[in-house]
Amino acid sequence: MTAASVVVHPEGSAVRIVMGGEIDLENALEVEEQLTAAITNETSAVTLDLADLAYLDSAGLRVLFALGARLEVLQIEMTVLAPPGSLTRRVLQLSGFEGVAALDG
Amino acid sequence: MAATTPVTNEDRLRRIAQITDTTLAHLDVPDLLDELLDRVRALLDADTAAVLLLDPSSTYLVATAARGVEEEVRQGVRIPVGRGFAGRIAAERRPVIIDEVDHSNVLNPILREKDVRSLLGVPLVAEGGVMGVLHVGTLTPRRFTMDDADLLQTAADRIALVTRTRLSDLDRAAASALQRSLMPGALPRVTGIEFAARYIPGDAGGLGGDWYDVFSLPSGRLGVVIGDVVGRGLQAAVIMGRLRSALRAFALEEDDPAEVLERLDGNVQHFEENVMATVLYAIFEPSLERVSLSSAGHLPPIIAQPGERSALLNLPIDLPVGVSVGPPRRTTTIDLPDHGLLFLYTDGLVERRGSPLDTGLDALCEVVRAEDAEAVCGGVLHRMIGATPVNDDVAMLVAHRLGTPSVVPLSIVVPAVTRTLSDVRSSVRRWLAAAGASPEDAADILVATGEACSNVVEHAYGPAGGTLVVQMELEGATVVGTVRDNGRWRPARGQERGRGTALIRQCSDDMDVTAGPGGTTVTFRRHLTGSSR
Repeated sequence: MTAASVVVHPEGSAVRIVMGGEIDLENALEVEEQLTAAITNETSAVTLDLADLAYLDSAGLRVLFALGARLEVLQIEMTVLAPPGSLTRRVLQLSGFEGVAALDG
Repeated sequence: MAATTPVTNEDRLRRIAQITDTTLAHLDVPDLLDELLDRVRALLDADTAAVLLLDPSSTYLVATAARGVEEEVRQGVRIPVGRGFAGRIAAERRPVIIDEVDHSNVLNPILREKDVRSLLGVPLVAEGGVMGVLHVGTLTPRRFTMDDADLLQTAADRIALVTRTRLSDLDRAAASALQRSLMPGALPRVTGIEFAARYIPGDAGGLGGDWYDVFSLPSGRLGVVIGDVVGRGLQAAVIMGRLRSALRAFALEEDDPAEVLERLDGNVQHFEENVMATVLYAIFEPSLERVSLSSAGHLPPIIAQPGERSALLNLPIDLPVGVSVGPPRRTTTIDLPDHGLLFLYTDGLVERRGSPLDTGLDALCEVVRAEDAEAVCGGVLHRMIGATPVNDDVAMLVAHRLGTPSVVPLSIVVPAVTRTLSDVRSSVRRWLAAAGASPEDAADILVATGEACSNVVEHAYGPAGGTLVVQMELEGATVVGTVRDNGRWRPARGQERGRGTALIRQCSDDMDVTAGPGGTTVTFRRHLTGSSR
């Protein structure tokens, strides 16, 4: 069973979402629901902290791309933390995610 | 009816000498039975002679040896105890003479068919119990005397004795063959861990119901079992065989050791009468770093780590299987560090008459160290058994994590469902670490493998499902990954799939898809650079 953790830290109108574990075809939809629930109409900025995410596949990427598109429509600023050398950063770079949001260390 | 001439004492002695003739002892048992039956036939002037033995359930007599009516044995004639001529002898434990056979008192169709007219039968008694019947018959009416019955009983006693000895020899040989066939001949070779095991039969009763087992599960996990069926000899060995198979079956269906033992318990309680067994079942994660264990009344394993004193695992012990419904079983998960060792054993190793169990366990903890698995087995046997006769049989199993494993190809076969993806990745990660891949190389190969697997899970099969095969090989400094299904190839559709295939290409040096009617194979290669990207 693939296990991911999604922990939401509201910081005023901004929200920091710390994700850990692994995301793949098995749990991508579940993760997407948790992310969707974390963002409200009042949210002004979202930081996705992926430093503890050990695996991300294309099903997970789809979730992040969809989130990016939705936040762009809502005009919510998005920051993604993915440390250099991590698998997550590599996958995000290879898939062109930097066109959606800048990757911070 | 033929008249019988009175028997003189001299005759009696001569006849008994024929039956007890020790020169027959060199014959093997079937020949000895035939020879005795022939002599009995000649001495009593009878046409047929047959031995029937009780079956293990003691409800039937089964024809085992026969002269004059050989087809009895070939047809495996069965007579219910208590009924018919032979059945009555066994039930009443006394000789029975029938002067005039009629259909009402003979059940054996062959005796009827042969038109056997008169019968004399005696019980075979050994160790105080009836084990069968010896009977003779004539094709002409004949009046058997008590002298005849006495002589026949003398022959019966000798037959009972040799048959008893033969049956216990057979039991021992069968139990031994069964043990040999059930113990894994070669333990699985798994990257990153070495196994060693021993089985020592007890001195008194020989083999028993101890067993060990190691098997890889489709997810890349490893199942490890040690168990002990209460009892001795062939019976215990046979039950052990059934329990071992049942546990393997449940291990394929359940991921939690406590759940596997719970189901085994249910199986034993339902299908086995008066059977109790202690079992310890452990599942090694594909990473080998963690082990989940559940104990059904079994002694806790010993954990050994380099530079530390070995100790018994602090493990809750639940009820043995086959006892009764008890509180829920528990699973404990432990970390097994690099070079760590788990030692599993049965109680025959530590239980000595007149010596407390703790003494044996302390001695075992002293001798078990985190070192070469075969050496641990040898050391334990030397220290714990040495030259002392062991009463009970002993099984032991060592699982030793290795630091620098040799790289053998990885091969995983799992159901093509999303649930297995995470385990497949764990196996691949472990293999890549063993193959010496840098974190960067490992990440890329992991992503390529993961995407190929997702593609199989998502697209290769219809609702019936299918299998996912993942193989990793090291060719020089290049990792060759193969992901295969036997379903229908469907081209990648939609942005997400396109993205997955693109990732495989980006993460490998080259990628190749072979699609055919038998399924689709994705092969990719990745040179291990060892340097950062």
